[in-house]
Formats: sequence, C-alpha cells, structure tokens
Amino acid sequence: MTLLSITAKKLLAAKNWLLACLFLLFTVSVTAQEKTVSGVVKNPEDGSPITNATIQVKGTRGGALTNEKGTYTIKVADNQTLVFSAIGFITQEIRVGNKTTIDIELVNNNKELEGVVVTALGIKRDEKALGYSLSKVKGEDITEAMSNNWTNALTGKVAGLNLVKSGGGPAGSNKIILRGENNLNGNSEALIVVDGVIISSSSGQQTGTGSTSYLQSDSPVDFGTSLNDINPEDIESVSVLKGPGASALYGARGANGAIIITTKSGSSRQKGLGITYNLNASIDRVNRWMDYQNEYGQGTSGQDTWYSYNASEDGPSTRSTSSAWGPRFAGQSYYQYDPVTRDKSTTRLPWVGYENNRKDFFETGKTLTNSVTIDGGNNNTSIRLSLTNVNNTWIIPNTGYKRNTVALSVTHKLSSKLQLAAKVNYTNKNSDNLPSTGYNNQSIMYFIRGLTPNVNLDWIKPLWNPGQENISQNQPFSSLLDNPYVIAYTMLNGSNRNGLIGNVSATYNFTKDFSIAIKTALDYSSEARTQQRPFDTNKYPEGMFRSQNIFTQEINTDFLIRYSRDIGKKFNVGISGGGSQMRNKYIRDELRADQLNLPGYYNLANSKNPLVALPYRGNYAVNSFYGLAQVSYDKFLFFDATARQDWASTLATPAFGTNPGSLDNTGFFYSSLNLSAVLSEKIKLPTAISFLKVRGSLAGVGSGGIIPYQTAFTYSPTLFPGGLTNPAAIANPNLRSLLTQSAELGLDIRFLKNRLGLDVAVYRNNTKKQILSIPIDRASGFSAAVGNAGLVRNKGIEIQLNGTVLKSAKGFNWDIFATFAANSNEVVSLIEGVDVYVMSVGPANRGSIQAVPGGRMGDLYGIGYNRAPDGQIIYNAQGLPTRTTEIKYIGNTNPDWKGSFGSEFKFKNFRLNALMDGQFGGVAYSLTHAVLMEEGKLKKTLPGRYNGIVGDGVQYDAVNDKYIPNTVLATNIQAYYDAHFNRDNIEANTFSTDFIKLREVRLDYTFSKKLVSKLKLQKATLGVYGRDLFVISNWPAYDPEFGTLENGTINAGFEIAQFPSTRSMGLSLTVGF
Amino acid sequence: MYHLKKEKMKRINISILSVLAAGIIFSSCNKDFKEKNTNPNTLPETRPELLLESTIFAVRTANQTRELRLTHEMMQVHVTTSNSDEIHRYLIRPSESDYMWNVWYTQLTNIKDVYTSAKNLVVLPNQAYNASYMGMSRILEAWVTSLITDTYGNVPYTEANRGRTDNLYQPKFDNQKSIYDSLFVRLEEANTLLAQNLALPATLVARDPLFGGDLVKWRKFGNSLYLRLLLRASGRAESGAAAKIQNMVVTNPANYPLMASNAESAILRFTTTAPFLSAFSTYRDFDFNGDNGLSEFFINTLNNWGDPRLTKWASTVASAYVGIPSGYAPGAQQDRQSSYLAALKNEPLTGNILSYAEVQFMLAEATVKGYITPATAAKTYYENGVTNAITNWGLALPAGHLTKPGIVWNDAETLAQKMEKIITQKYFTFFFTDFQSWFEHRRTGYPTLPIGAGVLNDKIMPTRFVYPVSVQSLNKVNYDAAVAGMGGPDDMKTKVWWDNN
Repeated sequence: MTLLSITAKKLLAAKNWLLACLFLLFTVSVTAQEKTVSGVVKNPEDGSPITNATIQVKGTRGGALTNEKGTYTIKVADNQTLVFSAIGFITQEIRVGNKTTIDIELVNNNKELEGVVVTALGIKRDEKALGYSLSKVKGEDITEAMSNNWTNALTGKVAGLNLVKSGGGPAGSNKIILRGENNLNGNSEALIVVDGVIISSSSGQQTGTGSTSYLQSDSPVDFGTSLNDINPEDIESVSVLKGPGASALYGARGANGAIIITTKSGSSRQKGLGITYNLNASIDRVNRWMDYQNEYGQGTSGQDTWYSYNASEDGPSTRSTSSAWGPRFAGQSYYQYDPVTRDKSTTRLPWVGYENNRKDFFETGKTLTNSVTIDGGNNNTSIRLSLTNVNNTWIIPNTGYKRNTVALSVTHKLSSKLQLAAKVNYTNKNSDNLPSTGYNNQSIMYFIRGLTPNVNLDWIKPLWNPGQENISQNQPFSSLLDNPYVIAYTMLNGSNRNGLIGNVSATYNFTKDFSIAIKTALDYSSEARTQQRPFDTNKYPEGMFRSQNIFTQEINTDFLIRYSRDIGKKFNVGISGGGSQMRNKYIRDELRADQLNLPGYYNLANSKNPLVALPYRGNYAVNSFYGLAQVSYDKFLFFDATARQDWASTLATPAFGTNPGSLDNTGFFYSSLNLSAVLSEKIKLPTAISFLKVRGSLAGVGSGGIIPYQTAFTYSPTLFPGGLTNPAAIANPNLRSLLTQSAELGLDIRFLKNRLGLDVAVYRNNTKKQILSIPIDRASGFSAAVGNAGLVRNKGIEIQLNGTVLKSAKGFNWDIFATFAANSNEVVSLIEGVDVYVMSVGPANRGSIQAVPGGRMGDLYGIGYNRAPDGQIIYNAQGLPTRTTEIKYIGNTNPDWKGSFGSEFKFKNFRLNALMDGQFGGVAYSLTHAVLMEEGKLKKTLPGRYNGIVGDGVQYDAVNDKYIPNTVLATNIQAYYDAHFNRDNIEANTFSTDFIKLREVRLDYTFSKKLVSKLKLQKATLGVYGRDLFVISNWPAYDPEFGTLENGTINAGFEIAQFPSTRSMGLSLTVGF
Repeated sequence: MYHLKKEKMKRINISILSVLAAGIIFSSCNKDFKEKNTNPNTLPETRPELLLESTIFAVRTANQTRELRLTHEMMQVHVTTSNSDEIHRYLIRPSESDYMWNVWYTQLTNIKDVYTSAKNLVVLPNQAYNASYMGMSRILEAWVTSLITDTYGNVPYTEANRGRTDNLYQPKFDNQKSIYDSLFVRLEEANTLLAQNLALPATLVARDPLFGGDLVKWRKFGNSLYLRLLLRASGRAESGAAAKIQNMVVTNPANYPLMASNAESAILRFTTTAPFLSAFSTYRDFDFNGDNGLSEFFINTLNNWGDPRLTKWASTVASAYVGIPSGYAPGAQQDRQSSYLAALKNEPLTGNILSYAEVQFMLAEATVKGYITPATAAKTYYENGVTNAITNWGLALPAGHLTKPGIVWNDAETLAQKMEKIITQKYFTFFFTDFQSWFEHRRTGYPTLPIGAGVLNDKIMPTRFVYPVSVQSLNKVNYDAAVAGMGGPDDMKTKVWWDNN
C-alpha cells in the first residue's frame, strides 16, 4: 500500500505524463482474504447466456471467462470489485461484499448508457466529468426528417452551431461554424471527424471549379464533399465539441471546435442475424417565391405605350430587353412571338402575362433511399453491414445524383486482452449533372431573373433552332440569356466520386485499467468531374469541355496508452499518452478545351486548341505527442489536464540551392485544464434541484494552418507554356503557429427529478497570431505578405433547455427542448499599420466584408444613399435619389442570436415531433433583389408607372443651405427605381436575414409487438415527415439562410442569384426482421 | 518479492525504450518536413524569357479593360447608356483607382525580375544575349512606370517593388520630375544595350510576343517611347526635353533610330488561339457594346473626315453612322446608335502600345514647336501620320483625304490650330491604347471635347486619378507626404508635374 501511495504522489508531481504512465507499472496487486464467487452472465433481451464474457477483479490482473452456459467462478475478496465485460455489452462493476453468487445481466451496447459521450480522440466519457460544453445528437434525430445533406439536421439541435449553406443544388454543401468566426483568413470551420478519421481537411473539403459567382467565364458548381456523402442511417451519434477546451486533444485543427461522428457498430446477438430494412421517400418543392409583379410586360424606359416583337407598324422592336417597364396587360393586342413560325405573329395577339412562367420551370424533386442493415455476432465478434442506395432528382430539370454506400464495421476479440476493430465506409456518388450556381449565363437563376412576364415558357422549350441541333440555340427573346433548357440538358457538370473512410484499430488490455490502442485511419477520395458547354452559348460560343480529376488522401496513425486506477477510496486517476502522425495529400489535374472543333462532341479529342493543363499538388503533415490526465475525487470533483506538442510541416522552410532550410518553427506546445464539480453530490440543495454541476475550462490550441508552401518564395506558372510570374504574396520563412485561447464556464442544473434540465455555457475565445496574407501597398510589388498577425475575440452564451411537461401513466408523454445562442465578436487588432482587412467582396467588388479594429467579423460596407443629417434620403434635381461615392458601414452579416424550440409528444404507439428555429440580428445584400428592381419585376416597382413618383426624402436647397422636402416628380420610372435599387447601392439592397422556420415535423407510428410478431418481424415503424415547411421572413429573395459558392468556399453576406429554397415531405418505413 | 520486482523492472525498461524509440521515430519524421513544404507547383528560380511573355500580355490585356471602362468613356469615344454609370460625367469613384495601381505595380515586379535574372545570366558563357533582355526590361519598365505616374502624379518609384528583396512594404513616393529623369536614363541604357544587337538564340525568338526577337525593332520602340516621354515633359523647361529631342532626331539620329513603318509599331497582336486572346474574347457582345454607344464627337469627327476607319470600328444605324451625346444629365440617357463592331473583341490591333503613326505625329509636334528642324518637315510628318494611321488598319487612304477640310495641313495656321489638328488625329490613333488620349488631352487640351450638361468635377477633365483607398490605409505616412508634395488635394483637379496646360 505504501508503494501505491508513493506512486500516486509521484504521479501527481510528475510533469512528464508519459513517464508517469510508466511508473504506474510499479503498482502491485493487493492481496487479501479470498473466497470463491460464481454466477451466470445473461443477455436481458432474451435471457440467453453470454459466453466468453470477461470477469476481472478490479485493480488486479486476475480474471475469468464465462463458459458456453454463461457461468463462471472466480477467487476474490469481500472488499474487491468484479468487472464484467463482453463485446457488444456495457461493462458493469459489482462490489463483492458478502455475496458468493453474483448473477448479472449485461446491457446491450448499442443502447448507450445515458450520460456517456464521445469526446476528443474518440474517448468515451461520463458527461458529468466534463469541464466543457458538449452537445450530443443521436442518430435517430438526424434521420428523422432527412435532407440531402444530413448536417442540415443539426440545425436547431445544437446551441452555438451555425451552418453556412451553399444552397447550390442537390449536393447542398454546408460550412459548419461553432461559436462564431474567428479567423481573418476565412477559415473558421469546425473539424469533422468520422470514426476517428478527420475528413474536413481532406475529402471533406470544398474543392471549387475555380470560379466566382458573378459574371465570370465559368460558374461555380457545388460538387459536394464526403461529409455530405456519409449515410445518415449509419450514424450512431454526433458529438459537437464547441470550444478549444473540448477539442484541444485534436490539436491544431481542433481550434474551431469539432463535430465527432460515430457510426454504428454491430451488436452481439444470440439468435442469428438482425436485418433491418429502411425505406425513405421524399419530395422537394419550392417553399417560398419572390413577390413578382404580373401587371406590366417587356420594355424599357419609354417603351410603355407599345410592344412589338421585331419592328412592326406599332413601333420598333422591344423584344430583346430583360426589363419589364413595358405596357400594362390591359386587354390590348400586339404583334408578339409566334411559336410556330418562330417569328413575329402575322396578327396582333392578346397582350397577357404568364403568371407562373417562372414557377413552371421548376420540378418536384424526388429522393428515394433504400437501405438494408445486417448486424449480428457472438460474444467475440460483432459485425454490422449496411447497404444504402439513394436516388435523387432535384427541382431543376435533369439534375440530381445517385449514391451507393457500403458500410462495414467489424469488432473481434482475439483474446480476453486483444481486440481488433475495423470500420470501412465506401461511397460512390455519381451525378450526370449538377447545376451551375451564381449570377451568370449557364446558371438557371440568371435566366429566371431575366424572364419577363409576357413570355410563355413553352416558347422557350425547344432547345435548338430547327435543323441547327447543337449549333444554334433557340432564343426567341434576349440573345443575352442562354436558353434554360439548353442549360439544363446540355451544359452539364458531371461528377463521379469514390470515397473510402476507414480505420483499423487494435486495443490491447494489459489489465482492465491499462491498455494500449493503435489505430490507422484513412480518408481517401477520388473524383472525376467533367463540364461541357455546347456551341452558341454566351460564354463559350465554340463550346467547351473540361475535365478535373481530384484525389485527396489523409492518413492518420496514432497510438494511445491509457491507465487508470483508484487510489484509496475516493480518488480515481487516469492517465493517457499518445502520439500521432498525419499525412495529407491533395492532387488536382484539370484539362481544358475551351473551344471545340465539332459541335455536339464532348471530349478532349475535340479541342480546337492545345489543351490547357492546370495541375495542383498539395502536401502537408503533422506529428504530435499528447497526454491527458484525469483525476476524480469522490465522484464529485473532476479535473482534466491535456497537453500536446505538434510539429507542422506547413511551418518548415524548404531548402533551395544554398539555403539549407529550417525546421525551427515547426514545433509548438499547448495545453488545457478542465474542472467539473457535481455540487449536488455534496451540498444539500432544495429538493426541487435534483442535479447541479458547475464546470470551467481554460484551453489553448496552436495551429500551423492547413495551407502549405507559404514559407518560401517561388514563381508561379502562367497560361503561357513555361511562363512564370511573381506570386501575389511574399512568403515568410519565419512563419509561426497561431494560437486560439479559450475560457469557458458552464452550469448544468436539473429540477424535479430531472424533469427539467438547463445547461448554460459562457465563453470567451481569442484567436491571435493568425497566419494571414497581410495586405500591403501594391507599390511594394506584391499584394500581400504572409505573416502572423491579428486578434479576434468571440464572446457568447449558449443555453440548452430540456423538459418533460407531461408524463402520464396512460402512456402520454410530452417533452420539450429549446436552445439559445448569442455570439458577439470583435476584431481587436489587425496588423501594424493596417486599418482595414477585406475578407470578401460582393459581386464585381460591390460591397465588401471588412475587418476593422473595433468592428466585428462580418461587417458589411458599401455605397449607400446620401442622407441628410436627420437620416432622410437626398434627391437630386430630377427627383432621383443620390448615392454616396465613398463606402459606408451598412450592417453586420452575422446574426446576433439564434434559437430553437422543439417538442415531442408520445402516445402509445404514436410519436409527434416538431422543431422550429430562427435567427435574428443579421443583414445581407441581395443581388437578386437589386436586379429584379432594376428590371421592374417586383411588385414594389408598380407605384408611379405612367404617372411618375415623388420619392420620400429631401432636396438640398443650396441658396439657404438647408434641406427641404422633395417634391420633384420623377417621370422616368425606370431611372427612378434604378437610382434607388441599382446593384451598386449596397444599402438599398441590404435586408434583414431574420427568420423563423418550421424546420421539422414528424409523425411516427410503431406497430404493436403483437402485429409485428404475427408478421414474423422484430419491429416496424412508419413515419411521415416534413422539413423546412414554413418560413417567416422579410427577406426579399428566396431564402434568408444562404451562402454563396465562390471559388471553392462558401461565403456569407452576399446573395448572388440564389436558388429557391425547398420544402421536403417524406415517408419512411423501418422494418426489422 | 525481489524476483517479481526484477521482472517488472525489465518490463519497465522495455516500455521506456519503446516509448523513447517511438519518440525518436516521430521526431526524425519531422526531417522530411522541409521537402514536404517545398512547393511542387512552382519554381524557386526563373529566367528572363519565362517572365517576358506573360508580363507583357498581363499589362496589355489589363489596359484593354481600362480603355473600355475608363479612357473611352472619359474621352468620348463611347458613352454609356446606363444612367448609373457616371464616368462620362467625370464622376470616377475612388475604387476605380485600385485596378491599375495593382496591375501595374504587380507586373513591374516581373518586368524588373526580367532585368535582374538576365543580369545574373549575362556573365555566363554563350549567354551574352541576355543583355538584350535587360534592354527590353528597361523599355517595359519605362512604359509601365510612365503609365503609373501619368495617371496618379507622384508615386512610389525608387522604393517601389522592393517588398521581397528589402522587406520594404511601405515605399516612399517620388516626385514626377525625378521619375521622368530616371526613366530617361533607363531608356538611354536600353538604347545602349540593344545597340549591341546581341541576337537571341532561335529557340527564344518565339517567346518575344512583340517583335519576334527583332532587337532593332525593340530599340526603335524604346526610342519612340523615349520621344513620347520627352514630349510629355517638354512643357517643363527643367526637363531639358527640347534639347534631348533635338539631339535624338536632328543631331544624332543614327544613334536613336525611331520606328519607320507600321510594321515596326509596338502592338501585342492578339490571336484567336489561347493564351494570346484579347481581354474581350470572353466578353459577351453585350458586355462589350451592349450598354454603350459611340459618342457624337467621335462619330461626327470621323464622318466629317469621311474616315474609312469607321467601317472597322462602328456599326451603322439605317446605313448611317450616328453618335449620341456624352455627359448627359442624369435620367437623360439616350438609346445607343452606332456601337463598336463585335469583331473588335478579337481585333489584333486593339493590342496597340505605340504606333508608327504616333511617332510621326510626335515629330510633327516637335517640329511645329521648334524643337527640331526643318520647319517644313511638319507637313510631311503630319501627313505620314494621317496616312499610316489609316493604312495600319488595312485600309486604303481615300482619294483626296489629305486635302479635306479639317485635315489639310496649312503651314500658315497658328501653333494652336496646328496642335489641335495633330492631337485630334493622334487621338484616333489612340483607339484602344491605354490612357494615352487622356494624357495628351490633359497636356494639350486637345481634341476639343463638348461638355455635356451632366458633367461634374467643375466640368474639368480629371487631371489625374486619386490614389487607391488602400494606399491610404496601407502606406499612410508616405501617402500624406505625397499629397502634400503635389501641391494640391488628392482629387481629380490637382495637376501633375508635366501638366502646365
């Protein structure tokens, strides 16, 4: 015993965790008065015996196994504890006492014990021992109301989680941000971990088509990432580690928090195989339209008294404009388009609006998911295999994807000490066409905004002019707008991606308390993309064909030694140490044939010019050592400390010529401390309070970033063969790691026998010495210098509430939950001598998101109205509003707070779920609104037509140097609305993004046991659900919740020709055999 | 007990050793980090010919976009039909200043690297020809630097482009006179270097996009540019420009060969084969000519002259060339009439840098101003200019063109009349030539442009562009000093040094 306490002291004093860990090997088994205990170990589900279950005397190496009848005998003393464990079951401990027979039922592992959560490095912990906030989302909650991207299901369920959606089509990529943006370089995304495989910087990263969203030669396409491809049916649980305190063990890349996804494993069954079949069918329809006018037809300023398709006796042609400032639909007739002759009609035809011409273009999206899961095993082995097939067609004709997933999980116990596990998740996702996004020819939404009310969509339906298949497109109106059916059926963006996420691990338990685990994880994906454009399109008059092959791979190998034991009666000490080696590789090869020889053939052989090759390769690596020490006292006080040393290749300086290079800055160290106190265990509290825990965490996380090659100056290739050019940024051989520091306090309080629970977290995060391309005066010859600078501070509060409102003996149950999260951030400092850092820009540099010391992340600046001192808009002599020449602050694009409210009713076999959520306090610029206002397409442009309008505001009276009310009648109505809402006017086109959405509703019926067993099934559930059913918002375009795909990333703040948002409704059936 | 302990010790030793071994393995793995962080997509070194092509192309295509957006709008080649676009009203937002500043300084880094990399190589055996690249670099440097200073006034020069070599991120600004003085020295150096005529090897000839490795033409380009800069500075006696022009043209013409035909013009001739594509090749027709029409001034002048270049430049409306007024009041926009022909999007001649016709007009001006003799040569120079400006476009000079009213040269006219004639003609040779027509208008006041009712800036043609807003935040101290040094606020009415018009 003395030896033991010496060890404990040594341990507490030890600075080197690894050494301390080794010292623990000194510990010797304690011997005392022994007796024989025997019993049976059973599976409670069917009462069957569990064979090969391990029975260990806690704290010793002594143990026994159960035989095929499930019985055991073991020698043990009264004061000792037996530990019962078996694969697929939850380990249980029983104190021996005076018992001589101990029979036990082990609980099946796939029903996780309440309160056990997955933390960093996949370590399972008791929730009450955590000093930081962690949100857990169960697999069922994700599949409840399925969406194309399962991450959408996290919305409203986790306080402090923010999804920035690309809205870019069926792939629907999301950027996940926890607790606000903290990086000036825009990389604030959370780490995504699937079964210990970090995918966010490998197959999970967005890879763009190299284009921005506004009037470029090419348009971005959302090809999705492997995060979207994870089969939601395979997800066991998702742990959201919001702050660095929680994710510090993930090291560098955990600084922005982490999303840890655990997929399902098999369970040990005694009776053969378990087979589950799941069918999910859903439809998507547009859930919100803009407020289009249908009173006036095509025409520009001054063309409101006649319409003529080509010149006629009524006047010159007015057919080509995209504007709707033309004549009113008042029962008159004009020469119009004749779809038969494809020319001017021979007689005047009634002048009418086609109210649904935009809506009719969109189809009903359909998704059908079939999945079969087989799981089973015995006491040594458990296996789960799932096969899933998804077939999707989206709301835009000829878009969608197919996905097949095979997931295999195998756990095998080679001996009582050695356990092997492997998880493999293979996905093939194939799409013949994903839609181009953004405001540009080739994108559908560019056409939809250009469509005027007097155009019948049927006239546009033929793709080609007669006899000119693939050579000349049918454009009866403006030749500036590519035919949307040509876009949908011939301007294709195809993708075929194979992804493999897997890991193999071996765990060796020296004793129950001392183990070593070794794991290798692989994330691999290869994707072949193609883009094709036919002849006669606006951007590629001679057609185009491009291919992109993208290969990503990340291999992570790590080991973890864990040791824990009780010291005395009250202390438990756990210590872990490990290391890891990460290697990341990215290869992209793009070949371009931007002019073709023969129309209608899309391959590289058809290139008119030598192919343009755009290769890129990226490599980086991180090596790490880390340690974790946990001390708990009397199941009441819990203390954790973590420490980690990383070496990042991105900070190494390469050797060139005589320059030897350097590894000096590659290493960096950081640590975290967490404390949790379950006060209700020790302090007498009012009986209403059933549980009270306070927690606190201090953490630092360093990072070398994920962008390689910033430490040496090199010349970049140009489009000319062998051509070189200076890079935009000056490399920095002295680049250092950045540091994120966080402090967090939390409270977990439950009332009325846990019927009401409240969890509150407050935090403050600082991200400093950020690795940035710091803008410098171009006269220096470069646009930026790479360096460490800047400090961004995030402060916030997160509240999560759970309650059981009703719990009746008759089986009626009503639970509610709610979340609230507010985050405010401040750009504390930028770079010496720099007072503005432009983070992103709007369409053609209209407006920008700028970081300014003292300001916030997401501050939107742009040109706005000239306003009198009292805030009124100043009009000019023509009665038109005037704009500033200099940019001004418009608003902040990040919402101040987000909240959600959910409710679940259960009555007998029925269950009804509903979830609402909302965000408040942010603004964004809408290009769609601006353009439709310029073109007279919205109802807001109706006032003043024909008669003119007097704008609400003031005129400057130069004689008396004062402002007088504006009384000038603006008669050119197009000029009036253009002066207000031209896309240059950022202020006029910026709107609140506040919304409340009815996010999920689901009704389930579980068939009764009787009926199920008659059908020789184990279980059967039928559900109907809806997602994004209703939206309450003043946002003028389609969806206030959006991001914009820009060159491989998703930016917030500027809406650029977004797609309509959709409402999904579906049906799901689960049958277990 | 003793035995047990010994056994445990052994196990511990093994454990310690294995952990240490793991540590060694890990830390030794860091060694490959240097290679790992070596960029496989780029090169740490360069050679002059690898930079040359790309940089000339980058500057010229960037200028093309500015010609369409700014020069042709300010100088009434065309006028926008979009009410919100106010450049024709001389309302040029500060954000317009960024683009040129950014492109020109960025490319100057490449241009200067042509010189330094050539200088490193010229000492190697069989690589003396790199001296020719040094000459080319000096010419291009003078060209781009003059664009910068002529656009903004005092600008960073001696400390510019030293971000990488000297970590100089906030360069001081130099006054325009000293920049011009230095550019003259640069062009003298180029003339000397190229006079050696150290021919490029055949393999590199194709990598010269301007003259296909013809060093004589490069030399003539350099001297013609020299003449352009001298003439621009000639209004300032302290420039010594008049004497230098005289030396160049009259005293020492053999040492300063100038362009002698259209074939010697400096033009980056775009093709329809990538990457030698015009910046407009990817523009939709609409983006090129959809929301602008050619101006009344531009069309009427050419109409009056019966200038055949209209057939290459402008579309007709009911078989006639019709322009629309520039500088109209807000809300008074007109529908476009004649507009640019879409074929201009891929026209090789829109890559013009400095043409033979311009040289002839410069010589005509130098003659009428008495910098060079004989005075009687002015007519020849002028008529040569008029003729070659048209034939350069593959057109024949119409019969009697040189005797038409408004064109015909009359030695008896006043200097002002002669200047107006020369510069107005020159204005048309500057069709798609960076900012030259605007610079010349600021210097001479010609051509005489009508001023519309909607024109702002006190109806003064902008005398310069304001500095980019980014410079105010990124290089504040030097910016303030530069503004003070120009003797006026940072606006579009403060004149640059050579501007004594």
